[in-house]
Amino acid sequence: MWLPLMGLVIGVIIGLLTDIRIPPEYSNYLSIAILAALDTLFGGIRAQLQNIYDEKVFVSGFFFNILLAASLAFLGVHLGVDLYLAAVFAFGVRLFQNIAVIRRILLTKWTSNGEK
Amino acid sequence: MNLKKKVKTKRVVISIVCLVLGFMIAYSYRVTQGTKSKQQFTDSQWERNLSLRNELNEQKEKNRELQKELNNKHEMVREYESQLADEAQVYFNLAEDAEKYRMFLGKVKVKGEGVKVTLSDGEYDPNDPNINNYLVHEHHVFKVITELYISGASAIAINGQRLTHNSYILCDGPVITVDGYQYPAPFEITAIGEPEVLSSALNITGGIKDQLVNDQIIFSLQEQNEIIIDPIVGRK
Repeated sequence: MWLPLMGLVIGVIIGLLTDIRIPPEYSNYLSIAILAALDTLFGGIRAQLQNIYDEKVFVSGFFFNILLAASLAFLGVHLGVDLYLAAVFAFGVRLFQNIAVIRRILLTKWTSNGEK
Repeated sequence: MNLKKKVKTKRVVISIVCLVLGFMIAYSYRVTQGTKSKQQFTDSQWERNLSLRNELNEQKEKNRELQKELNNKHEMVREYESQLADEAQVYFNLAEDAEKYRMFLGKVKVKGEGVKVTLSDGEYDPNDPNINNYLVHEHHVFKVITELYISGASAIAINGQRLTHNSYILCDGPVITVDGYQYPAPFEITAIGEPEVLSSALNITGGIKDQLVNDQIIFSLQEQNEIIIDPIVGRK
């Protein structure tokens, strides 16, 4: 269990220490990518709890969603349409749905444990 | 064993995913911080912008005041100019007057329509022993000249000699001396003025013409369109 946590910590440290500067207009893409990553992560946790977790789907979805969200935002900026809003909306809705499902499953588990 | 290995690879994959996620979150956080500090810089820039704008407004205000002052100055210059124009008008009038007076004084050549009166001695009459009875005397000339002046002549000359305010005419036997120049008969008196007025003044019944004719003097009168009288050249 400590390995993923350690990975998270190392990632944060690397991110804080990196001295690569990106133009401020690209920070939008990064935010969208983070949203996509969070969505995929919670989707994976839900799948794990529902016992339908598939590693390939999770990993490919993680990176593919990041790239898709970023490119969608990029396209939106160049077309003059705020397409990143579509990504924010879609990922946001799914994020809340996933978290709701996770919460229900955990609640069910907790209540069943308490009855035992 | 196989199951354990599978779990391990799963852990590793999840770790990689977590690493990427952590990196992205941290990096995004840093970028956002940078943007915030930039925002503060923009604030100071905004302040500078504001101060510059205030300065610009002040300059504009100053410009407007200066423009107003300039307009006032323009107005003053225009006043001076119109004053100058008035003065020029006055000077022009004065010059005109001077020219007119010069003409009256006989300092310049004058030209105009008028009349020419010729007085000649009468025919020699052997029956009359007194030659003075048919000579032209100064008082004859005086009469004509006075009549012409009364009738409004503006310039008169005798045999081309311009008369002025202080001219004198002397009878010197057969000749007449005008301002020191001697002239023999016949005497040509040229006068500039209204020809009709002058001629009718001379021709009036019982007037100058009749008196002169009574004195045996040959009197002829001509109206002329253009009479030129030369200025006085000098005085003896």
